[in-house]
Amino acid sequence: MKEKKPVYICRCQEVTREEILEAIADGARTIKGVKNRTHATMGLCQGRTCRRLIEKMLAEVTDIKELKPGTRPPVRTLKIEEVIKGEDS
Amino acid sequence: MKKTSEIVIIGGGVIGTSIAYYLTKRGKEVVLIEKNDLASGASGACDQDIILQSKNPGIHLQLAMKSAEIYKTLEAELEHPIEYENTGGMILIETQEELEIMKDFVKRQQQIGLEVEILDLKQARKLQPGLSHHLVGSTYSPQDAHVNSIELTLGFAKAARKQGAGIMLHTEVVGIKQRNGRIQGVKTSRGDIDCEIVINCAGAWAPKIAEMIGLTIPIKPRRGQIIVTEEVAPYVMGDVLSARYIVAKYNPDILKNSSDPGIKLGVGLSLSQTQKGNILIGATREFVGYNTDVTRTGLKEILKNATRLVPGLKGMNIIRMFAGLRPYTPDGLPIIGPVEGIEGFFVAAGHEGDGIALSPVTGKIVSDLIVDGKTFMDVSRLALERFTKNNPKA
Repeated sequence: MKEKKPVYICRCQEVTREEILEAIADGARTIKGVKNRTHATMGLCQGRTCRRLIEKMLAEVTDIKELKPGTRPPVRTLKIEEVIKGEDS
Repeated sequence: MKKTSEIVIIGGGVIGTSIAYYLTKRGKEVVLIEKNDLASGASGACDQDIILQSKNPGIHLQLAMKSAEIYKTLEAELEHPIEYENTGGMILIETQEELEIMKDFVKRQQQIGLEVEILDLKQARKLQPGLSHHLVGSTYSPQDAHVNSIELTLGFAKAARKQGAGIMLHTEVVGIKQRNGRIQGVKTSRGDIDCEIVINCAGAWAPKIAEMIGLTIPIKPRRGQIIVTEEVAPYVMGDVLSARYIVAKYNPDILKNSSDPGIKLGVGLSLSQTQKGNILIGATREFVGYNTDVTRTGLKEILKNATRLVPGLKGMNIIRMFAGLRPYTPDGLPIIGPVEGIEGFFVAAGHEGDGIALSPVTGKIVSDLIVDGKTFMDVSRLALERFTKNNPKA
């Protein structure tokens, strides 16, 4: 029998569609809930690609209005040295 | 949905799930109710440290040491990978003044039986090559450890479920029913549940639950912001704190009068590296109500403090920042035990930054108290009444 190829939703952390569906079945109703159970969105790109895909999957089981935006600064990777230097130091 | 349960636990953080695990292990009927999701509060927004040496020598350290003993076999017991690792840990000492304070702290901890010592800078740098040359030295304890707090919470919940616990997520407790000073049940957003015992494990939200039965609990949310770096090669050994963290923790008043923005935010180093390679850099200790935003000042001050102590961090990239609300109590000790005057009402909250470290022992104590009426040590000092009896203002 031909093995089914996994569909990767989060590329950085290599989380599959199946794993995200499992997380939702386990009670995840927010990005954070999925994140806590699978590590999706937690890699170097911080959910650039997968966040929207996961939100779409979550929207099928939850009220879309309850999907609060979960993004926080920093919006992209940032070198620590640059933060310390900053403009107001 | 269940309409009755012997016991209802409010809160799906590390404390509530631990208690659910230990109570079901003793054959009790338990329903756990969580407003949002498992580990959606402070248990999912903290670092990974199980630090014994940051605990005040006394009952606090005794609790932590008992917890550490339980941790050794917990992963096998829960049959869930909680990423527990006995890594050792150190507290960095920057000044002679701090050295004197830490010498006394360490001596009192040794008397209780903790393996801990003071290292000079050369010895400390041997263990932790990234340390700045301006440090005086550090403490070192081989007993400190790491655990993944989210996996721990999920693991406790999974094991509790296996033992028969009902876990209701996305369900809010909106009232508590009592008659003649006895607990009768809880009202939730999904219907009522009759029960004999209610355990308030709502962490920073515990006062809101207590208010429902007219009780005041002196817990305040204290925000801790933490920064995450990209995955890097092993760089940080074990748990690293700074002596200033200990000062921030136990003497918030001293810091209030400072004009330094970092000190005002209660910034104290807490550094550790995850198994994946991300370095967690913390943390602030701020009283800003229930606000969980991350701030620019927080970001900058945490990094300024961390790079002063470990300059090599400067070249690394940060990818994320988060904040959690630690349940602060005025004396730094958690509130654990039954509440006088309301038969069947228990509190297990107020662990501030020690909830992860103390979760196994808290679960054990509460289950012992409920099943046997006593536990392995005297925990009367942890009762809520310590605030209401001696100090009517609290």
